Amino acid sequence: MIRDRHVRYLKAVWIGTIILLLYIPIVSVVLVSLANTRYMRFPHRVWSLDAYREAVDSFTTWSIHLVSLQMALCVVIMAVVLGTLGAMAFARYDWHGRSVFQRLIVLPIFFPQPVLGLALLLSFSALGITPGWKTAVIAHAVWIVPIVTLVISIRLFGYDVAQEEAAFDLGASRWQVAREVTFPALWPGIFSGALFAFLLSWSNLPLSIFTSGADTPLPVWLFSRTATNYSPLVPAVAVIGTVISALLVILLLVLRRLFRRA
Amino acid sequence: MRTRPGPWLAAPTALFLLAFFAMPLLIVSWYSLMPPRTFSMLGAPTLANYAAAFSDGYEKPLLWSMLGATLTTLICALMAWPTAKILHAHAGRAASIITALIALPIFISESVRLFGFSMFLLPRGGILAGSLNAWFDIQIGSILNTRLAALLGMIYVYFPFMLFPLLLGVSLIPEDRLEAARDLGAGRWALFREIELPLAAPGLMIGALLTFVLCLGANAEAAILGGRAVTVISAAIEQRFSYAQDWPMGAALTVIVILVTAAVVWPVLRRVDLNRIIQR
Repeated sequence: MIRDRHVRYLKAVWIGTIILLLYIPIVSVVLVSLANTRYMRFPHRVWSLDAYREAVDSFTTWSIHLVSLQMALCVVIMAVVLGTLGAMAFARYDWHGRSVFQRLIVLPIFFPQPVLGLALLLSFSALGITPGWKTAVIAHAVWIVPIVTLVISIRLFGYDVAQEEAAFDLGASRWQVAREVTFPALWPGIFSGALFAFLLSWSNLPLSIFTSGADTPLPVWLFSRTATNYSPLVPAVAVIGTVISALLVILLLVLRRLFRRA
Repeated sequence: MRTRPGPWLAAPTALFLLAFFAMPLLIVSWYSLMPPRTFSMLGAPTLANYAAAFSDGYEKPLLWSMLGATLTTLICALMAWPTAKILHAHAGRAASIITALIALPIFISESVRLFGFSMFLLPRGGILAGSLNAWFDIQIGSILNTRLAALLGMIYVYFPFMLFPLLLGVSLIPEDRLEAARDLGAGRWALFREIELPLAAPGLMIGALLTFVLCLGANAEAAILGGRAVTVISAAIEQRFSYAQDWPMGAALTVIVILVTAAVVWPVLRRVDLNRIIQR
């Protein structure tokens, strides 16, 4: 019995350590952001929110967030449309060539992202296309569409096709079946897929860094300013950008709960 | 009614990936055969870039990347196994909260997390060194800007990519089979080797594959945490593309990484039945 308790204790310590290690860097960013000095000496002599004030006043902060936002929205639209269609082909229908499709569609997930970004950069340049936020959207979509396809597919595997047939037998039209049966069944998958797409695009560094050209999305700005030209704005913007995506997720989850109840 | 919509539904996604995933890989492959330091795609194909890749010391960044990816995969697997077992054995509200807590950082940008990591490790005024100095009067050095720091950064970033597939894998182990083996007198090691490992293998393989491949291309960890201590292959390729303006050479290095990736990914993906894993 005593040995059991020791094992339980050890397990708790192990899990606690993992969580602690995962959150140390994130907490560090917040701590660093609470001082307005270029050369950090922790613990701060003066704790202040000045860096945040400066960040909000700075034009750059707004423009990098806007670039990231418009990219993420485009990626969400592409991922939801292509991902839903792809998931129907992946999980809903049985067809000749499905297993090949299933294997090929996951390949971009099992591919080193910076290498994909570099390959796209070279291809766009070779074809005379100037890299910018639109090419970065394409790059994100190559990686995110397969992920969203899988997310929606997981839902679709649990979907009973007989419901559709029952609706047809009861005299429902094609459109009615799609609206009343298929879509409600697909919706949870689409919702999570869209959320994934937004967050993955918003936070992506390895694809954006090579494909976004002169437009600078948030993670690329943070990366380049960490390496050179560091300023106290960096941690503040890092926190602001992360909080925005967290708030958006919370807002969407709350909205969904409200609608479900209504 | 009995039309076959499968191919039609697959077509848009398949075409998109053909255009923006398969095509770029073809273009890069073709470029890698062009004469060094040219920008046209119409040159006479040559293998000069590949020959140069192995004589000009480019195998070094590639080997560093492969070593980093291998070590990260191994260490992540060793850490993820007990974690997955514990989370699975104590499934419930607490376990799902912990799982969510582990998943959450995936959605925070790598640049934010790695920046935080570097601030934590910063010598003298960093979070760790500064706190120890101020509150415990302990002075420590720093591992920032070393290969070790880059490795720790990769373990930190890619651990969830190992854990979640493994969690699925571990959930494929039926509890009654473990009990039966225990009743028959199987020891801990026998249980692990004969039952748990083979049954969890699909999840473990997917996790290992994902971790290895993502690490193979990883460059942010080496850039932010490794300083100039190590050049990884992505950095070497970027350097060829941008500063050196040697597209064919960069393309050849890219193709080599793609071949390494394919050699690892394809055998595993061919064996694993995705339907079975996802359907859970």
